[in-house]
Amino acid sequence: MQRRTLMKAALTAVTLTALGTSAAVAENPVLKIGFVGVTSGPAAAWGISNQRSMETRAAWINETGGVTIGDTTYDIEIVSFDDQKDPKRAIAGMEKMAQEGIHYVVGPNVDDGAAAVRPVAEANGIMYFPYAFPKSLYEPPASNAVLGMVANYQSGPAIYKYLMDEKGVKSVAFIAANESDPLSQRDGGVAAAEALGLDVVSANVTYQVDTTDFTPVLTPVMRTRPDLLVLSGVSPANAPQLIRSARELGFEGIISTETAQDAGVLAEGAGDLANGFISVGGASTPELASPMMNEFVQRYTDMFGEYNDESNTKVYALEYILETLKADPAAISDVDAFKTTMDSFEAPNPYMNGDAKLRYVGMSSFGQKRQVAVPLVVNVYKDGAFETLFVAEVD
Amino acid sequence: MGFSSKQMMGLGVFLFAIFVGVPLLIGATGRWDFYFTLTSVALLAIASAGVWLTFYIGRINIGQGAFALIGAYVSAILVVKAGWSFWLSLPAAGLFAALVAVLIGLPILRLRGVYFAMITLVLTQVVTLTALALPITNGAKGISNIPLPSGLSLFGIPLIPDFGSMENTKLAFYLTACILMVVTYAALYRLVNSRLGHLCRSMQQNEELASSIGVNIAYIRIVIFAISSFFGGLGGAMFGSIAQSVYPSSFQVADSVNFMLNCFLGGLGYVFGPMLGTLVLYFGWDLLFEFGKYQMLIYSTLLILIIRFLPNGLLSIRFSKGDKS
Amino acid sequence: MEQILANGVYLGSQYAMIALGLTLIFALMNVLNFAHGQMYVIGGFVTYTVYGQLGLPFVVALVMSCVTLAILGALIEKFLFAPVIKGSAREESTMLLAAGIAFFLDALILIIFGEKQRGVPKIVNGVFNYDFRLIMPYDRILICGLAILSIVAFIGLMQYTKTGRALRALAQDRTAAQLMGVNVDRYSMIGFALGAMLAGLVGGLLVTITGVNLGMGGPTSIKAFMMVMIGGAGVISGAIWGGIILGFMEAIGLAVLSQYGDITYLLIFISLMIFLAIRPQGLMGKPWG
Repeated sequence: MQRRTLMKAALTAVTLTALGTSAAVAENPVLKIGFVGVTSGPAAAWGISNQRSMETRAAWINETGGVTIGDTTYDIEIVSFDDQKDPKRAIAGMEKMAQEGIHYVVGPNVDDGAAAVRPVAEANGIMYFPYAFPKSLYEPPASNAVLGMVANYQSGPAIYKYLMDEKGVKSVAFIAANESDPLSQRDGGVAAAEALGLDVVSANVTYQVDTTDFTPVLTPVMRTRPDLLVLSGVSPANAPQLIRSARELGFEGIISTETAQDAGVLAEGAGDLANGFISVGGASTPELASPMMNEFVQRYTDMFGEYNDESNTKVYALEYILETLKADPAAISDVDAFKTTMDSFEAPNPYMNGDAKLRYVGMSSFGQKRQVAVPLVVNVYKDGAFETLFVAEVD
Repeated sequence: MGFSSKQMMGLGVFLFAIFVGVPLLIGATGRWDFYFTLTSVALLAIASAGVWLTFYIGRINIGQGAFALIGAYVSAILVVKAGWSFWLSLPAAGLFAALVAVLIGLPILRLRGVYFAMITLVLTQVVTLTALALPITNGAKGISNIPLPSGLSLFGIPLIPDFGSMENTKLAFYLTACILMVVTYAALYRLVNSRLGHLCRSMQQNEELASSIGVNIAYIRIVIFAISSFFGGLGGAMFGSIAQSVYPSSFQVADSVNFMLNCFLGGLGYVFGPMLGTLVLYFGWDLLFEFGKYQMLIYSTLLILIIRFLPNGLLSIRFSKGDKS
Repeated sequence: MEQILANGVYLGSQYAMIALGLTLIFALMNVLNFAHGQMYVIGGFVTYTVYGQLGLPFVVALVMSCVTLAILGALIEKFLFAPVIKGSAREESTMLLAAGIAFFLDALILIIFGEKQRGVPKIVNGVFNYDFRLIMPYDRILICGLAILSIVAFIGLMQYTKTGRALRALAQDRTAAQLMGVNVDRYSMIGFALGAMLAGLVGGLLVTITGVNLGMGGPTSIKAFMMVMIGGAGVISGAIWGGIILGFMEAIGLAVLSQYGDITYLLIFISLMIFLAIRPQGLMGKPWG
């Protein structure tokens, strides 16, 4: 059953892309937007949800006649490069984007890749939107990277503060995979928690990326009996296992993370044990999702057979690129114009109910506007779906 | 050494192709992105040459990623923290990798076959985890914002221009990598055809026998492993400088395995095997880029077919027609 | 303390099962099967599909996993490994083939089963909790028991059946076995299928605890290599010991060294290197390697 739907979806996708490209040649000029990220191997889930979000949106735009920038209407083509989570490949990918004449790229997904592509991006006039948190990527003198989501050092404090005020959380324990991104996020989280006056009872425990059984890893953490357990930079594959092990070990406090998760994966991997799990998401909870967001989810599902909630945060980068280009058509081949426009750019956020705006932020974190203003939506998992806990803004 | 005129011709054609032909071709077609890909191939081929050399003494080496990572870190630390010129840090990185290889090699080179393969594989993980844990490597945050190689001059005569002031560093990096690669393979060729090379071959056949006729096998093993790791360190250091950043994940187990696969694919019996293997494995992936989500499937299918029909490596085609030796 | 021991037994039994299949294949054909982890993942996905998606009984799913992998293993041996071994000058060349197959299976898994982490409903609910000193969910206890049972069954098969005797003869000395009238080609295929089947079985068992995703393959292979090396390559009892030792090392290391989190595995790896340097053929391996 499952397989057949997947196959059908894949076939549809192939036909759609084929039709799309052939139609594009006939009608509109094509605007290429790049994606460099990991779409194979262990971390494939990160890049694939990214790539599919972009492809879904591009197909949707093309189906409805393209996007008008200045006087020209373009069809969007997504050019994807699989970097296999290898920084060396990521550089090759960025070179490929430069070769294709692309000036706007989404990705890479991890710290080392994002740092490695910087020289190429700056030399070739490419703006790129990584999903990596190191501040050095976004602070001057770096100027071509735009953080594509909310960083953990921004969402972490908001979540901890909320839990302190609302749930009386006093002590916190951190656990992270022994790998660059999660460890950096853990260090950021620990600093934030200490600044808020939380008692950090355990922050040293790490696990290997390939761990499949977390009971031995979590046993010593559970001894410290924290009120809150933070899974720093946890990958969607590990989150359900960690939650399950912690609960089975008798943990009764709150579990949270600062990365985006998928409700379906949590439901399958941890079931009811995941109830109450707090994570950061985009705007797809029923309270917040605009009709456009719902249509996006529907189109994604039709195209690929199954939605991934991680895409809630990944739907934005492409939208930002296109909207900024609309605001300043000269930027289509000139990233300096893009950078100037970023300072004053503002447009309504089509994916969220209410009067949320698309704009660039990051002054307080980076000293320049190098981050997309994604609403900081903190979700809580309940019986197979996410509910909104609270919404905050990043400045 | 006696080169036949045919060999000299081949060498000339090869040098002309990489130093003149490729830049001309890229200039003509406008495929500037191939510069980085080919630079990578050259650098990975240097590291693979080291792995090939350990194969030459009958050891399966899945640890070259460790030495490449060591090289990358040594160079980055010397440049960023000690203010060295990159060109001085490059040999230093190789030498440091070689030193580590001597220290580690003393105990582990006694191992053979899959045991040696495994212990070197574990070594790759050890180095990655050490890089994550040490303060001098900046732990998980890695070292980023490494400056481009500065110029180098001797007695006021500029030998190497300043990369930082260049309009386009792609060609400069490509040429540097190619020069390094040519020097590496020249050294490798020289070594294989020297007395040491003959001793290595006898060890590859049978260590006990070699030892019984008075070959100091322990000494040779260490020397070869050190040279091999020197190559790894060089390649790694150069990569760090291109990416201008080094992370614990810059070289990992997958890289170690790939270095080994490059040697198998090119052919273990041929000095230039690893170079060809690297070209096919790395460049092949790039060329299949058009296939999108089926890229990996097609890539691996081709790989399986190659090894199925050419189990002794790509270069074995050349010899399969004529004599069987 | 009780908890550490229990974790060790649990980890050890599942590790031993993973290592068994790998070492069997190595013993028979001198092939270091890089694709072993991918076979384990496929086993997990088959059980996920049959038990989790189609809703058939768990036992049926397990059998399906075993059958799928046995067939896959037999095909891979017959059409890929056997001809390559015959044609190559140095038998290590099979490593390239094994790696190619690993890449291929990874790509196949991604296309067929997708990129997401998958899990199945628990087969038994509830947690055994002895005064918070020993906590073990019932499904883990069950899986641990099944794993030990499978290991015992496997040993029995190797010891007391004709196939087992032929396989052991083959592992000991290929040429001699051939001279004694063992059909080497046929039993190589059976052995490879059996090794792959073990990978599928353990994948199917563990999907109920850990779930499955396409990224688990490579790391699982590497872990299995380490266990095989600890015990001694190509020796059945060595693989079992290797699995148990690594399981206990992890359980103890993670408990004792938790304060130094970042270096637990570093120390495990370094001690493994020291151990191998002192005893190059593992616990009970033959020195040829």
